[in-house]
This record gives sequence, C-alpha cells and structure tokens, in this order.
Amino acid sequence: MEEIRKEIKKIEESALRLKSLAPENNSIVKNASIILVFVYLLKFATAMWEE
Amino acid sequence: MNKYWNSYTETLPREELDRIEFKYFKNILSYAKNHSNLYKEKLKGIEVEDIKTVEDIKKVPFTYKEELRKWQEDVDPFPYGGILGVPIEEVSTFRQTSGTTGRPVYVPESYESWQWRIESWCHILWMAGFRPRHRIFLPFGYNVYVAFWEAHYAAEKIGCEVVPGGALDTKGRVNKIIELKANAMAGTPTYLLNIAKEAMEMGIDPKSLGIERALGAGEPLPEATRLRIEGLYGCKMFDHIGSTETCGFAGMCEEQKGLHIVEPFFLVEMLDRETLSREVDVGEQGVIVITPLGRKSFPVIRFNTNDVAVKGPDNCPCGRTSKKMMEIVGRVDDIRKIRGVLFSPKTVEQLIRSEFPEIVEYEIVVTRQDIMDEITLRIEVDPSLSEEQAASIAKRLAEGHKIKTNLTCKVKIEPAGTLPRYDLKAKRFKDLRGGH
Repeated sequence: MEEIRKEIKKIEESALRLKSLAPENNSIVKNASIILVFVYLLKFATAMWEE
Repeated sequence: MNKYWNSYTETLPREELDRIEFKYFKNILSYAKNHSNLYKEKLKGIEVEDIKTVEDIKKVPFTYKEELRKWQEDVDPFPYGGILGVPIEEVSTFRQTSGTTGRPVYVPESYESWQWRIESWCHILWMAGFRPRHRIFLPFGYNVYVAFWEAHYAAEKIGCEVVPGGALDTKGRVNKIIELKANAMAGTPTYLLNIAKEAMEMGIDPKSLGIERALGAGEPLPEATRLRIEGLYGCKMFDHIGSTETCGFAGMCEEQKGLHIVEPFFLVEMLDRETLSREVDVGEQGVIVITPLGRKSFPVIRFNTNDVAVKGPDNCPCGRTSKKMMEIVGRVDDIRKIRGVLFSPKTVEQLIRSEFPEIVEYEIVVTRQDIMDEITLRIEVDPSLSEEQAASIAKRLAEGHKIKTNLTCKVKIEPAGTLPRYDLKAKRFKDLRGGH
C-alpha cells in the first residue's frame, strides 16, 4: 500500500504542476482539476486523506 | 475479476477500519466547522481536539432533517443556504429530497462530492454482482431525485452499459428491455413488480425478459417482496439503503443476508431507540445515525435518519469485514402505537407479498372512532377473481393480520384501479388519527 500511496502523491504533484504551467488554459486547468478530484478519491480509498 | 470493488478497504481488520473512520470523522468535523454556516453555529461549543476517543463522538449533537430545512429558508446563498460547504461556484449539480415528509431539502453537489458519492455506489453495485457484462435498464425519468442518477453514474463507472429508461410508459419499458436485451435493472420494488405485471398482461413471462440481476432503491424491500421479484423474473434481487442527505451507504452482497455498510466512507452508529446514547448489540434494533465522511459540498454530521434496523454480525462469509445491518425495520415515524400495540406497516407488506399474490395493490388506513383506533386494509384483487374468491382472500388477510400484528383490522375490497399506483416512494400507510 505504501508504494500505491507514493504513486498517488506523484499524480497529485503532476496535476498541480500542470495547473501552474498553464493557468490561462481552461482546458488544461479543468482537466488537471478533475485529476485532482480522483486523487482525492484515491486518497480516501487508501486511508490517506488528511484535512 | 476480483469480487471486491476495493480489496484493500473491504477486507481491513475491524480495528483498522475503526481507526481510519475515527480519523476521517475528525477531518470532516473540522471541515464542517470551517466551511458550513450550519455547523459553524451548531458546533460552537465543540473543539475537534476534544474528540480524543470514539466515545467522545457522542459529544457531537445529532443533525435532524428539520434543521437542514430551517437553514435553507431565506438564507443565502440561494437555494442551499447555510448547509453549503463549498463556494457556490463549485456546485455542479442540483438534487433535492422527495419532500415526502415536508419541504424538500435542496442538495448541492460539487463535482468532487458527486464523484465521492458515485464511488460509494460503485461498492454497492459491485457487491451485488453487477459487472461490465451487464446492460442495465433504469426504468425512470431521474428528474431532480438522486437515487437513479447515482445508479446511472456508478453503473457506468464500474463498466456496465446503462440504458436510461425515462419518458416511456411501462409497456414501452417492457418493449425496450426486450429490444435491447437488457439483462439487469434497478428500480423501486413497487415498480419492478409493476413491470412484471405489465409484461404478464402483454402475454410475456417476465422470466423470458432475461433480467439476471436487479437492485432495489427508494423504498424498503421486505424479504417477501425481494423473493417475489426473484421468482417473477428468475433473477437475483439485491437491496441497498441510502438517502439523498446521506448517500447510498449500505448494500447487499451475494450472500443476500443483510446489508454491508460501505466503510470507511461512512461512520454508521446504531443507537438504542430510548436514549439514543448506546450502541446496540448484534440482533438488537437501533436507530441509524450516519456521518458521510468525505462529502464536502454538503457536510452532514451525525445525521439522525429516523430509520430503525437490526444490527448484524461483523463477519460475513463473503469476506468483507464491514459492519452489517440485517433488516430495515422501518422509519421511527412509521412505527405507531395502535391500541397500545407497536405497529409497523412493513409487517403488512411482508404478509401481503408472501401470502397473497392475488392482491395487486393495497393501502393501510388508521382512523380513530371515539377512543378506539381502527385499521382498515383497502385492497384491490386480481380482477379475474370472482366475488366469492375476493371475499375469501379478504377473510384470510384479516386473520393473517391478526396473527402477525396482534391487532384486528377491517378489510375493504376496492374496485380495480381505485388505489394509487406508485413508481417512486410508495405511500401506502395513512394514519388519519391526528395528534397520535
């Protein structure tokens, strides 16, 4: 599970980076945000979620 | 294909699930206090740091449906008011409760919260054996009500092919099932029975429709009704429980004995009816109190559902380690004292569905004559039966009712088509006593 959690963290970092690389591009920002929604679900389902 | 939707969470040891849920409870409590006006006010005296043990959760007050309504009346932002947990710009979907018990509650779903809800429903469908090979027919126009939207999105997500069956009459739906060879369905138990009846009136044996698997939603599913649907369609019929406020939070596995709570998505407490302070034991009835642990657009903490269920054993032969509830007894509101005896309308449904296939529709009416409460069962029987046969059914029903409930009743045979028919949320119990 630790391996999986590390990968989830990497996806999160990549999605955040995507958003910061193209803040004016609606499509990239929205799709990266949607990735972050599923990152949240992955965190929730792997007992990683922290508020 | 793995039999679990999430093989990690569904097989975690009990103590690990408890630990995660306790952590998540504190997370959502903190979130609600910071983001929802309702909870900013309601939890003024509660600090998250004070919740140090599972027992401390009981310090947090219950949330009632009436409060949700109150926090939406003339409170900004329209139409969600103080229950909203995210900036209104993040709300992507409007839903509402059915309004059966009063003014509907308007439910804001952000994209994230909606997907969280769908993920919970994926557990319910997967545990009931729905798989990508299923073409699932949803025989409803979903409108603003949540259940079939959840079913639709979750079925898509687990890989089923979904056929939305709105804007058709029942006959049209039977024809669509045949045309597309749909092999699965989800619907209110009442409407699944209506579809089978319609098919028979069209000269079609419901078994020939090819439905392998069905899921009940929107109404209680007594065991007799579940078995009747299985018998009519030759399918496996599963139950689940949820509500608009809480999401779908428990479902039936292939063992078909009780409902597994979707953990760690929900903290479900089952509390004694008298004091609402003690977790009931296995086999005992308890009021269901729920906290959805990850939904932020509409955080609800310790929501008192008013539903009563029997607590089940933790371990199931299916291997899931989640808590179970064995039988939904009914709503606290529907369990009434009649002539000093506790009466649940579900007992009557169970009796009719298991022993009286000739009764096509029914309604329970309670009235008060002077100081005496009176129960009348209004029934419609199969129109092909003679008057004598109908009278014999009425007599047997009155006797069966007395045995099952310890209460006498009158049975009134109504002409065909007199009683209301329901697709969603049947209301077959009318207590007209006032101030009972």
